[in-house]
Amino acid sequence: MSKVPNEPPIESPEPQQPEWSRRQFLVGTAAIGVAGAVTLFGRQSLVNAARSVFGSPVSSGTVHLYAYDYYYIPNYMTWRVGDRMEVIFQNQSHTHWHEWTMGRHVNEAYFQAFGNLPADAWQEDFWDGVPVTLSDPYGIDNFVPNQAIVTYVGPKAAYNIQSGGDFSPTLKPGGSLHLSFTVPNKPGLWDFGCFVQQYIHYRTGMRGQVMILPA
Amino acid sequence: MAHAMTVPESGHAPRPRKAPMPPVLRAFLWAAIGFLLLNTFVIAVDPFRGHPFVTGPSVVFGWVGAAIGWLLGIGLYDAVLLPLMGFPTRWQERQQGWRRYWEFATDHKVIGLQYMMFAVGGFLIAGGIAMLMRYELMTPYLTIFHYPSNYLTAVGIHGTLMMFSFATVFMIGGLGNYFVPLMIGARETVLSKLSGIGVWLVPVGILTVLFSPLLGEWSTGWRGYEPLAGQDANGILFYYLGVLALTMSSLIVALNLVATVMFRRAPGLTWGRLPLFVWGQVTVNLLMLIWFPEIQTTFVMALLDKVVPLNFFTATGSPLTYLMLFWLFGHPEVYIIAVPAFAIWNEIIPVMAQKSLFGRQWAVIGLVFVMMLSGLVWAHHMFTNLRNSEILPFSFFTEMISIPTGFAYMSAIGTLWKSKVRLNTPMLWILMSMFNFLIGGLTGVFLADPIVNLQLHDTFWVVGHFHYTIIGSMVFSGFGAIYYWLPKLSGRTFNETWGKTLAIITFLAFNLTFSQFFLLGLHGMNRWVPAYPAYLQPMNFEVSIFAFILGAAFLGNILYIGYCWRNGAQAGENPWGAKTPEWFTSSPAPRYNFPVQPEIVGSLYLYGEGTKVPVVTTALGELAATSRATQDPQFDWHDYAPDGGGVTS
Amino acid sequence: MGENVVFAVLWVVFSVLGEIGDRVIIRHNPMYYIVSNQGQLALQAFNFLLVVLTPVFVFVVLFLVFTMVRFTTKRGEMPPANKRFAIDNKAFVLVWVGGSIALNLLFFLHPTTSAMEQMFALDQPAANTHDLVVDVTARQWQWIFSYPQYGLTQTLTPNGQNLLELPVNVPVKFVLRSYDPYHTYDQYADVIHSFWVPAFGIKEDVIPGETRYEYLTPTAITSYAVNPMVRVQCAEVCGPGHPWMESPLAVVSDQQFAQWVKAQKALANG
Repeated sequence: MSKVPNEPPIESPEPQQPEWSRRQFLVGTAAIGVAGAVTLFGRQSLVNAARSVFGSPVSSGTVHLYAYDYYYIPNYMTWRVGDRMEVIFQNQSHTHWHEWTMGRHVNEAYFQAFGNLPADAWQEDFWDGVPVTLSDPYGIDNFVPNQAIVTYVGPKAAYNIQSGGDFSPTLKPGGSLHLSFTVPNKPGLWDFGCFVQQYIHYRTGMRGQVMILPA
Repeated sequence: MAHAMTVPESGHAPRPRKAPMPPVLRAFLWAAIGFLLLNTFVIAVDPFRGHPFVTGPSVVFGWVGAAIGWLLGIGLYDAVLLPLMGFPTRWQERQQGWRRYWEFATDHKVIGLQYMMFAVGGFLIAGGIAMLMRYELMTPYLTIFHYPSNYLTAVGIHGTLMMFSFATVFMIGGLGNYFVPLMIGARETVLSKLSGIGVWLVPVGILTVLFSPLLGEWSTGWRGYEPLAGQDANGILFYYLGVLALTMSSLIVALNLVATVMFRRAPGLTWGRLPLFVWGQVTVNLLMLIWFPEIQTTFVMALLDKVVPLNFFTATGSPLTYLMLFWLFGHPEVYIIAVPAFAIWNEIIPVMAQKSLFGRQWAVIGLVFVMMLSGLVWAHHMFTNLRNSEILPFSFFTEMISIPTGFAYMSAIGTLWKSKVRLNTPMLWILMSMFNFLIGGLTGVFLADPIVNLQLHDTFWVVGHFHYTIIGSMVFSGFGAIYYWLPKLSGRTFNETWGKTLAIITFLAFNLTFSQFFLLGLHGMNRWVPAYPAYLQPMNFEVSIFAFILGAAFLGNILYIGYCWRNGAQAGENPWGAKTPEWFTSSPAPRYNFPVQPEIVGSLYLYGEGTKVPVVTTALGELAATSRATQDPQFDWHDYAPDGGGVTS
Repeated sequence: MGENVVFAVLWVVFSVLGEIGDRVIIRHNPMYYIVSNQGQLALQAFNFLLVVLTPVFVFVVLFLVFTMVRFTTKRGEMPPANKRFAIDNKAFVLVWVGGSIALNLLFFLHPTTSAMEQMFALDQPAANTHDLVVDVTARQWQWIFSYPQYGLTQTLTPNGQNLLELPVNVPVKFVLRSYDPYHTYDQYADVIHSFWVPAFGIKEDVIPGETRYEYLTPTAITSYAVNPMVRVQCAEVCGPGHPWMESPLAVVSDQQFAQWVKAQKALANG
């Protein structure tokens, strides 16, 4: 190099090149921005819209319901009144108890409270008056039948039946339970969730929905 | 374009070409291709079938592909890769027009503005998230965030983007790149091409962190700390990767600026004459060269902890190690942000007062000692989990670091004493910054005291403290610096009434917002909570209102500066009567900064009777005649010593 | 000379006013509500720092205001250029540097070291008398309290919430662990929590795999209902359930505590 170090390099004039398009740039980046915003904020709306337009497949027969640390898979199901169902509920957590309760109208305001929490749950329990058969219990912490009409397969001791609160099988880490029932005539949208640890699981998003279609 | 047409060097006959794709769009396209290639490859070789298309390991490799695709697409393919491989390239650096800010560039002024542009983008995104957080905190229960994990992810993105894409980037990548070469009379930076590459890692990092929720929520805040991170969804991977990109970009800035200050100072600009702003930049650049590799290593280890997985930092590994490694970097990081602000104070005050800088050596010593002590205080972030025997030494150094920090105040006070200073917009911002940092510093004295710290740690007192130190120092000084240098950056100036009004509104909103954080903290408001006991609600509600005003005030300032940049009144060449070299060329400076190599013949901070103009720009002929480059054909700039040109004073 | 005197007088006047303000703040308890001996240490240190730092704060703020009032040119005017300026003043530098070193050494000796010595002394045999030991186990997301001296493994409210109850004026030794009694110790074991009762004025992190101790004596009969700062609250982010990782707390008289222990035993056995 034959220049003083702080000297600029020998400048060669710029060749005439076609400019990239300003309009392409603006439209392209704006489109990418919109697509980004939709993927960040609009996924649930897209899913809901798709569900309301196309519906979602009805599950019947044997269905797996997995509980993880603080979510369910699946968290949305569609059932049809009169279908015979067997839900295999399985707790996949390594560390935490999880339960499966289902109902309507939970008083969320209670859940925001600090200090002494009221023991509240669903105002309407889905399982009220529903005949259900439980089988293959493994790692059950406790089971509250509430108003359901329950048939137990095998020795009852394995279910650790207790009272108080909603219909709720509570599983230890790795536990599982089969619930067989005919979908009762209670059409509409039902919520399910896990109220373990003072509702914290529910409050942190361990919840789902079941859409029950009329027969 | 107004330039004459010439035949390209490759020798091919020029033929009409289709207009190329805008580089940014090409970068997005190539990033998508890069992601798909590597992600698909990892999935294809995955021995365990049945995984989804995007898994933790695949997304890490896919991200690397995307980053490479992005950089190539933005212009590295033409400007770096082809020449490197010996192929002809048609790439020519654009010399003017807005388009050069949206493609690969090597001019440090373009790069500096790109850094500022991206940093402001990061600031607006992270600030918008802060507004959502304040909206949430207006009520003691969850509203716009449905679950705490959403809120915690927002907190994490806010902190990460503010720290790594704005606070570290704006003053150092932005103002540093733009002004350090100008202030040392250099005509370009040493690693200009690398620097041009580095700036395009900033949008990579911002977008990576911003879109981390696509891979799942993460709950750790900006620390990404283990063992909690081990439980998080894959979103935490994008935290590690995004911060890796952002810190890599800042590391390149540090390398380039240190090298430039070492090798490209104008003749006569001895270390003793180095402008204070440059001293500030050099000290923090050294801090970055020391600590950024450390935190990057930590993040790589944490990443491997997650995707392999290993057990470096988990509960069965060593759960405090990550926090140690993080704060080992994390506290110097705070000074990386604050030290340039101290330097700015004493850069602007003598100019506005037209009075010699008081105790210049103390101001520099303060910066250097803050830099050295900053590596000895990290564990004061861990008083609640440190062994008792380690508390007192860290408390000692933490309290002592306030001494060199105070030197910045001492110089400023000595300079302003009995001066006649112009109380214009930049000066007002500087005085406000001194006030805010004072509060940040004094509340820090309480936190440095372990017994008080055990009560205030992890409360809103700490949140108030670090917002006072970081916004108070860096953002307020940053606005001061931008108003001060606006005539240099754009050749235009602003209206004092508007500038001052906006500054005062920002100042009031800032203080009304964050001063109440101290009271909230004392009253038992802990951090990282979207829901809190109801007795704290009234004050939180009020804080949120002021926070919204503050957000609007920042936005107003940014818009006003943008407006003045294009439409402000024409400014003179040196409107403030400053003596530092950046004012001894046209505004904005031409491509190679100075028409001829300037020479420094006196102190840059002496004013009043008997002082001379320190920058001389007519020495080119003399310099060229004696320079080794013209006499020695083997001359290499590595051998160049700026003081060796025979020019002394 | 005029400015020096005016500034000095103003500094003294405003510092005195500031100190009077500090007295008012201290009377109203800047930490709002503190009911433990540990918290008293923190509160005393806080008040001391407040009192000593007030003149420093006044000095700088007064200077900034003074600059804006006395040391400015009229709008649009350039500062006068025909002067020589001092760039050094050994006395000022000496006072500033010496003063800041002295002030920081003072703070390090008192309250830093003096208060820490008092805190460390609480786990020395003389003070550590094991009057009441409470095992605190933190897990995502609940606090589990057990009283080994009374054979209580987990104390609960009637609603099944974990409850901490302490007798007033009895030294308590908290044994802080994050070991989760419900599952085997694996890599998914718990995360760092922080055991904090705002009204006790101290917090201590709970680290997986480690045992930490905290010693304090509650000094007033109180409960969450009396003041919401009387609650056990996790202070270190520990996942989505962090805001609700709290637990009610009651400080009661000795007799009430004995009754409560009986009731808890009955609850556990029956």
